[in-house]
Amino acid sequence: MIDVATTSPELLTVRDLRKAFGAVVATNGVHIGVRTGEIHALIGPNGAGKSTLIAQICGEQRPDSGQILLDGRDVTHTPAFARARLGLGRSFQITELFAEYTAADNVLLSLLLKTGRAFEAWGNPRSDARLVEQAMARLTQVGMAERANVRVGDLAHGEKRQLELAVALAREPRLLLLDEPMAGMGPEESARMTDQLMAIKGQYGMLLVEHDMDAVFTLADRITVLVYGKTIFTGTPGQVREHPEVRAAYLGDGAC
Amino acid sequence: MWFALGGLALLCLTPVVASLTGTPYLVNLVTRFAIYGLAAVSLDLVLGYGALVSFGHAMFFGLGGYVVAIIAFHAKQGSPLFGWGDSQQAFIAWPLALACCALLGLATGYLALRTRGVQFIMITLAFGQMVYFVLMSLQIYGGDDGLMMPQRNPLPGLDLKHPATFYYVCLALLAAWTFLCIRLVNSRFGLVLQGLRQSERRSVNLGVAPTPHRLIAFVLSATGTGLAGILWANFAGLVTPDMASWTKSGEFMAIVILGGVGTLLGPIAGAAVFLGLEQTLSAWTEHWMIVMGPLLVLVVLAGRNGLFGGWLRAGHD
Repeated sequence: MIDVATTSPELLTVRDLRKAFGAVVATNGVHIGVRTGEIHALIGPNGAGKSTLIAQICGEQRPDSGQILLDGRDVTHTPAFARARLGLGRSFQITELFAEYTAADNVLLSLLLKTGRAFEAWGNPRSDARLVEQAMARLTQVGMAERANVRVGDLAHGEKRQLELAVALAREPRLLLLDEPMAGMGPEESARMTDQLMAIKGQYGMLLVEHDMDAVFTLADRITVLVYGKTIFTGTPGQVREHPEVRAAYLGDGAC
Repeated sequence: MWFALGGLALLCLTPVVASLTGTPYLVNLVTRFAIYGLAAVSLDLVLGYGALVSFGHAMFFGLGGYVVAIIAFHAKQGSPLFGWGDSQQAFIAWPLALACCALLGLATGYLALRTRGVQFIMITLAFGQMVYFVLMSLQIYGGDDGLMMPQRNPLPGLDLKHPATFYYVCLALLAAWTFLCIRLVNSRFGLVLQGLRQSERRSVNLGVAPTPHRLIAFVLSATGTGLAGILWANFAGLVTPDMASWTKSGEFMAIVILGGVGTLLGPIAGAAVFLGLEQTLSAWTEHWMIVMGPLLVLVVLAGRNGLFGGWLRAGHD
């Protein structure tokens, strides 16, 4: 395998990020670098500050100090919508979709936001053959083509997770934040999601937050371990497995 | 689609029926349908598609009416506004009034949209009450008695004094505005606006800046409501601060909910039902709200579709 992790430039750089909520320090010195084409997993026990970190990277929360660079550009104070326009896509831990729209409309909306022109008040994008075709292609990619005209509210949980991915991909991001994409999935669905992520690996830089260790060790090029809001180690899956501090902090002695 | 065309045909034929059956007051009734329908469609644009519950929309209704009435007042005094003799011409006065409503919508919307949910309701209510009390305190324009508008704004080629002609103008404006709104909510802009309602978080993370979208919808809605106010001033020949009172805002909201939130056509039918019931029930007892109140409660309890929303949505899907 070509080691993308050491050869390509950094798409996302997080430098010494800190954030406190009153006396609770949620982020206490985080350093991460995600390279183009790399799947970089972020693991850590519950309460390690993963969600807060994701929120800061995508711009929903502001850090107290530190720096976030997207493609070499300082976006620490850039609002979330502008970061999305710079190529940052994400999926949510708890599904965030347009519940009243059909699966196809969800992808369509993502597609048309990519092209800009969101203020066009004439013409119906649902009857734009090219857009609809692109939306269907994205749905096919995640195995949802047959469910295109089902309202999101009527989809099964696993299907919503697949659709989350399709919506994020349709925007053609360069960097994907995947916030527990396997959350709430059965083993079979998890395996399918793993396959899908494997299939698109290399096309995007991905920061993957996931509790499913099988998935993490299958997918990740590098793993960063977050404990008490601090990144304590970054390395290949093999290195992480062997690292004594990581074993103590997270994996537990019986793991692996 | 059939709902729209059928309704439009019915509304077109009403003056003919009225003259055949010798019931001219029917024309007055449907004129009020059309004007309230215009306000209801406009409110539905923000309430139904943007989930922005504006409890101050009557301020635009009031302002639209007052601007044309004030222009007419000065023209009659022999000192027309800006010294311009033609200022009460419809094609001058109406766009001017609409521009005032759009500006008020821009200012209040910009401030109100910094909030969400209950705060948004309260802040729009507060702005509405501010406009109401300003109108009350304008002694030169009649204070709380309001201001007479002795004659309708002249429109070249049309005799607006004639009830049926005025009605057809109202109906044409309602139809055109509704058509524009339907196009709007199905456009890219409309899809994004409704996306914001369903998940602001997802929208933002796909690159939508929420406030500009909502503000544009709010200004458009304010302008449409202002147009209804302009027509009302011309229709009634009188504007009063009550046009901008919070009870009027509540009435508009009741009409939208009654007809079906987020359906555009529903609220027009809602206006017809609301005004029709008001008319028949108030002939029967002055406490007509005793019947209307429980009816509204029943409709709301039955779901968010209102009386016509279920139908209209079934037609869309």
